[in-house]
Amino acid sequence: MILSFLNDLFQQDFMLRAMVAGFVLGAIAPTIGSIVTVRRLSFIADTLGHFSLVGISVSLYLSTLGISIFFERPLYLGIIFSIVGGLLIELFRRSYKNYKEISMVIVISLGAALSAIFFSLSKKTGSLYSYLFGSILTVTDYYLVLILITAVIVLVLFIVFGKQILSVSFDETTAKFLGININLFQIMFMIVLSIVVSVLLESAGVLLISSMMIIPVAAAMRIGWSFKSTLVISIVFSELSVFFGLWLAYSLTIPSGAAIVSVNIIILLIIAIAKRLRTNRQIAKLDKLKQ
Amino acid sequence: MQIDIRNLSFAYGHRSVINGLSHTINPGDYLVVQGKNGTGKSTLIKCLLGVNSVKNGMLFLDNQDINSFKQWTKFGYVSQNYDGFNYEFPLTVQELLKFSTITKKSEHNYLKLLDEMGILEIVNQNINSLSGGQLQSVFIVRAMLNDPEVLILDEPTASIDKQNTEFFYKTIGELNRKGITIILITHTDSLENLEYTHVLNMALDLTTTLCTKEEAKGVDEL
Repeated sequence: MILSFLNDLFQQDFMLRAMVAGFVLGAIAPTIGSIVTVRRLSFIADTLGHFSLVGISVSLYLSTLGISIFFERPLYLGIIFSIVGGLLIELFRRSYKNYKEISMVIVISLGAALSAIFFSLSKKTGSLYSYLFGSILTVTDYYLVLILITAVIVLVLFIVFGKQILSVSFDETTAKFLGININLFQIMFMIVLSIVVSVLLESAGVLLISSMMIIPVAAAMRIGWSFKSTLVISIVFSELSVFFGLWLAYSLTIPSGAAIVSVNIIILLIIAIAKRLRTNRQIAKLDKLKQ
Repeated sequence: MQIDIRNLSFAYGHRSVINGLSHTINPGDYLVVQGKNGTGKSTLIKCLLGVNSVKNGMLFLDNQDINSFKQWTKFGYVSQNYDGFNYEFPLTVQELLKFSTITKKSEHNYLKLLDEMGILEIVNQNINSLSGGQLQSVFIVRAMLNDPEVLILDEPTASIDKQNTEFFYKTIGELNRKGITIILITHTDSLENLEYTHVLNMALDLTTTLCTKEEAKGVDEL
């Protein structure tokens, strides 16, 4: 079964594109996801995804009025709206300093409401399904290039500003004493996150973006012994999910995003069970030694 | 660095915590800020660090108004109970210290400092496996990494045992002798083993008394 999948993978262009796109996204998503998790903002990708959807729905609505912007590619307006959503979160965060999640609830609600209104006005509610659940199998060459550019941006940022990113993420207060401009960092991080979320939206869909970013990290956190090891393990888990998820999607004819996320969850469960069994074994060993 | 506090007042809503405090901390001073819980010690530190914005009174750092002050790398800070730090995500001591360095020189500094603190053996350990005392020592090393001019320590010995507390105060005393200004906040420690120069007492009724070590000793003897 897996052999025929591999055979088709190298013979059919759309399959190969999907796999390459999946592998690149599989590396970017947990990389950004690890920072989001350290900053305790796991819910943020969902929030930005909903606001990105507003941009897409507005773009579709404008095209029904005969107004074409960004060469009728809704993704770009999605990126802009996602950035606006990110800046709104920062704005509300300053008003509710100790309740980070309130700002996200406000923005996610606004995003959901506005996108529902504009999708309805555009009379293109049929396309809503693919935006909610994504489809990596329909990835075009153009989109693949966009994913690669995003990956290069993320990679360069991590290489150049890795120290600063980790300092602010682990401890905002003390990062100031390392000469880091926290406000500028917050805005830059929000912009990069908005771009990544919007790019992920086409393949994973609004409802599954968070899963691709956070679940591999959640599983890796259980067995990682350092930040570096946790990041590497989360990328490995993510890539395994992409491969086996696409295989499942291809074999069972099910949505690819959902299949990838399901494999992610299975890995998380396996890790949780293995960790529990190991702890129980260690406790039993200690009890034996005490006797 | 000179820290000049002029008629500083601070309130959380209608609850006043600091009322008209004035004091100058000179380079090389070792100031102990003492007082019970709720007397505004940590609030004062948050004002000094620019976390709480000062609306009543003035604060000057090296003759520069705190609102326009930019050279925060001159400060080292250890917060109370590691406030704000996410120590649950896997991270080794080495990783933490490496990303907390500013210069190449400080990158080489961390092993020496860990050795001096007697915790070199934990360099590759995950921070979430450390005891409270070890973690606090790591944060002290982090605060000293970039050769700060001022070291602010907010209840730094809260989770350290007695033996390590004595060692810690000895280290802080040595740093002060090297010329680093120390501001130490405490609500429990006796001043007996400290090599401080001034002590600021903050009371629940918002009154503050400032005295030198000699004056404080005189009060104790009475």
